[in-house]
Amino acid sequence: MSRVPYHELKARERIAAIVDPGSFSEIIPPPERVMSAYLPKLGIPVAFDDGIAIGRATIAGKPVYLAAQAGQFVGGSVGEVHSAKLVGLLKSAARDRLPCVFLVESGGVRLHEGSSGEIGIAEAIRAVFDCRAAGVPTIAVIGSDIGAYGGMGILSACCDFRLMTEHGRIGISGPIVIEKWMGKEAFDSSNRALVWKTSGGKTRFLLGDAEALVNDSTDAVRDGILSLLSRSAKPDLAFVKARQKFLQERLDTFGKTPDPDAIWAALGVRDVAAATLAEASEFVESFAPKKP
Amino acid sequence: MEKFQQSFPSKPVAWPASKKWALSGVVGSGNLEVLIEPNAAAPASVSYAVETSFPGYKDSWLAALGDFASHYAVGGTTITIHDQGASPIVITMRLRQALDLLTSAKP
Repeated sequence: MSRVPYHELKARERIAAIVDPGSFSEIIPPPERVMSAYLPKLGIPVAFDDGIAIGRATIAGKPVYLAAQAGQFVGGSVGEVHSAKLVGLLKSAARDRLPCVFLVESGGVRLHEGSSGEIGIAEAIRAVFDCRAAGVPTIAVIGSDIGAYGGMGILSACCDFRLMTEHGRIGISGPIVIEKWMGKEAFDSSNRALVWKTSGGKTRFLLGDAEALVNDSTDAVRDGILSLLSRSAKPDLAFVKARQKFLQERLDTFGKTPDPDAIWAALGVRDVAAATLAEASEFVESFAPKKP
Repeated sequence: MEKFQQSFPSKPVAWPASKKWALSGVVGSGNLEVLIEPNAAAPASVSYAVETSFPGYKDSWLAALGDFASHYAVGGTTITIHDQGASPIVITMRLRQALDLLTSAKP
């Protein structure tokens, strides 16, 4: 067992650290060379796996389908091949009724590939809902520095569960994009504390956007995935209506609150300054209000 | 983009029969990925194929790749590289990592 910081690892190292040793069986591995047709035309080097490794594995003996994105390759962006691998993985998971786990690290759709990426992510999101309708658990693990943004932020939000670390962030537009549109007074993207307190793991956990918050170690992430594997949240009409009501109330309550600290305090965090510095496990145990 | 291929003589390498390939590195700024695969047809040489987004450094590349072929036993393999501006020291390190992954007993 190790305490390697999850966020420091590369995609394939994350898979190796989380699944049972030797259990990962990759689908479309690098030697098959299924690569982007667009990037070479733009003078950008391609990757053998198009920035995502997918396959089957076991975690503590439980079989899963698993994907890991490589954030270093064009920002972990979802191009044509990348999205096709996501869709194929989800369809396999739905067919075999096995949970599907995403180790997310992506800024969203690969804009270099135009509509192919946009259509691809839409197909992947539809495939997520096909899994959910079939009662197949889908879990997004968000614990990398790049986080889950754009289309991958949406896809992650569509999964049954989100497991986050303090390093992880989830959103649609990134901080720099928001600053460019709204101005530095509205959102200062160079203020890292503000950025992480707006879209980071602790705040997302408090707001109910992430179901689990764990320490930044591969063991903690693995244990967190295990605890979610057996659960599934089939989205029937009552579930969707309840969620909609919850989100509307949250917007009514906090829509005009300018400061993340005020939201933390209003949500029942005991000591905001100490909670800010606490490790994730300590945060969940001692500072965050207990979930009903 | 610049592409080139080159073979160098190298001592034959052995690896576990269960392994068909090994990959090291990620294509990113200042980084590269290295895929090493068996090539039974030429046991006493290594065949490189390089694709880099930084043209004009072929001589440096060939020096680094030739060095690696003479210092390490990598004969009987094909090594394919996707590069985004890695320095020679990073290239050598990634080649070593790929070779380690291929020859180690670990899965």
